[in-house]
Amino acid sequence: MIGFIFLLTLRQLIGRRSTLLLAGLAALPVLLAIVFRLSDTGTEAGEWTAQVLYLGLVVTAVLPLTALLLGTCVLGDEFEDGTAVYLLTKPLPRWQILAPKLAAAWLLTASLVLTSTVVSGVIALKGGDSAIITGFGIAMVIAALAYCTVFVVLSVATTRALIAGLIYVFLWEGAVTGIFEGVRYLSIRHTALGIADWIAAVPEDTFDAYVGGETAAILLAVAIIGGALFANRKLEQVEVRESS
Amino acid sequence: MSMSEAVTPPTVSVENVSRWYGNVVAVNDISFALGPGITGLLGPNGAGKSTLLNMLSGLLKPSNGQALVMGEPAWRNPSVYKRLGLVPEREAVYDFLTGQDFVRLSARLHDLPDVDAASLRALEAVELTDAKDRKSGGYSKGMKQRLKIAASIVHQPSILLLDEPFNGADPRQRLRMMDMLRRMAREGATILFSSHILEEVERLAENVLVIVAGRLAASGDFHAIRRLMTDRPHAVMLRSSDNRGLAAALVGEPAIFGLDLAEEGLTVRTSDLLAFASIAPRLAQKAGVTLFELSPTDESLESVFSYLVQR
Repeated sequence: MIGFIFLLTLRQLIGRRSTLLLAGLAALPVLLAIVFRLSDTGTEAGEWTAQVLYLGLVVTAVLPLTALLLGTCVLGDEFEDGTAVYLLTKPLPRWQILAPKLAAAWLLTASLVLTSTVVSGVIALKGGDSAIITGFGIAMVIAALAYCTVFVVLSVATTRALIAGLIYVFLWEGAVTGIFEGVRYLSIRHTALGIADWIAAVPEDTFDAYVGGETAAILLAVAIIGGALFANRKLEQVEVRESS
Repeated sequence: MSMSEAVTPPTVSVENVSRWYGNVVAVNDISFALGPGITGLLGPNGAGKSTLLNMLSGLLKPSNGQALVMGEPAWRNPSVYKRLGLVPEREAVYDFLTGQDFVRLSARLHDLPDVDAASLRALEAVELTDAKDRKSGGYSKGMKQRLKIAASIVHQPSILLLDEPFNGADPRQRLRMMDMLRRMAREGATILFSSHILEEVERLAENVLVIVAGRLAASGDFHAIRRLMTDRPHAVMLRSSDNRGLAAALVGEPAIFGLDLAEEGLTVRTSDLLAFASIAPRLAQKAGVTLFELSPTDESLESVFSYLVQR
């Protein structure tokens, strides 16, 4: 059952025009890495990759925007166009609808972002220092699941999921966590950086995350499990209204 | 006759069910019970038909009362879908799937043992086998409607709820779909379909529920309700060369029980519209009055429904 809904969702996502745009977004770090390699800025490659390429572009924009567009649409679009009825009126517990939807959004988000991370990192680092690439790569995959979960929650909890997601990404993670360091524990971006720093174990002058690795892992697990449970609860209570 | 008296045991029922959105009451304290057979849910647009069907199909939580399927609450109870099929009003299907894949998906989600056989049987029932390999996004509105029906009957439900199922279907398709629903009803299915078109309900339904402004205005045998609709008082507007003279000529007629003379014309209230339409020109001619116009003023379905509510 789960497999059919998973494949259905993947076909829905891959067929969307916006997914092509997301592929373009994922190509941006690769282009930036090529420009970096072709120009001689004198910047140390490891530091540039961590600080500019990954922290400045992949973690801040590519990952959250990809997860936002895919996470909010896997269920949100079906509620909007009315096709959700074909899933909801089947003798299935709602988690069997939620899980494959979330998995499809995660798979596509992680595939795009991981490819972008690895390819751009290999180009920027000339294939060297794989620890940075590995650290950020793994962190992106885990953070993709956390972001997708949060955005799926938004899509079943509100009809303005995209706007709510943009506020979270740009206002909360972009601005508020920049001003108040303490709230970085409530940011997927910063916990993902914690994971990346933990795995990559690079020198502090190359990259240093605010949230520690173990703490970040626990926080992300809480966000993913708690978010999935909450989304399932919302989906069990979701109402479908048609014109009467 | 109340429908709850007519059928036992009920397969679908609502008990004092209401649904409101903020201050707007969409369905107001409705109760009925249905058994096997075809029931039409008749009412003007915005009457609350879809809200009622969505509560019965477990997609909407009643604000008050309960909607039951086989005696079990429909809300938050996915097991009811083993026996229930729903044809939603909205046209959307998964456009990227072929017709057969769409029905197959439904069969798979019902965990049917032979998905291909079940989907082909359902597609045959709605006469879509020729188009089964085409992407459903290219289907006409009527074909999509039939595809939705095929997906909803693939598991051979004993209860079928259809929201405006004949929208977009051409007359031939409409007749075929009606035949199919009659066949299902003969085999013991409980079918409840909504429509705002009296003739559709007249052709198909044995029983009818008339819903107006969220309230159940009438329920029971269609023909009894149809008679009520036909025998109701009618208002007819007349324009002539001498409205006052015409009023004097008409006032003695037994079929007429009210006259209202105004500047724009003469409004006549009659209990027998056909008889009046036949005698009015003759009486006008006899009185030497030229009749310019004779037009019923309250023939809209809404006015018919309003009359039923007032009774």
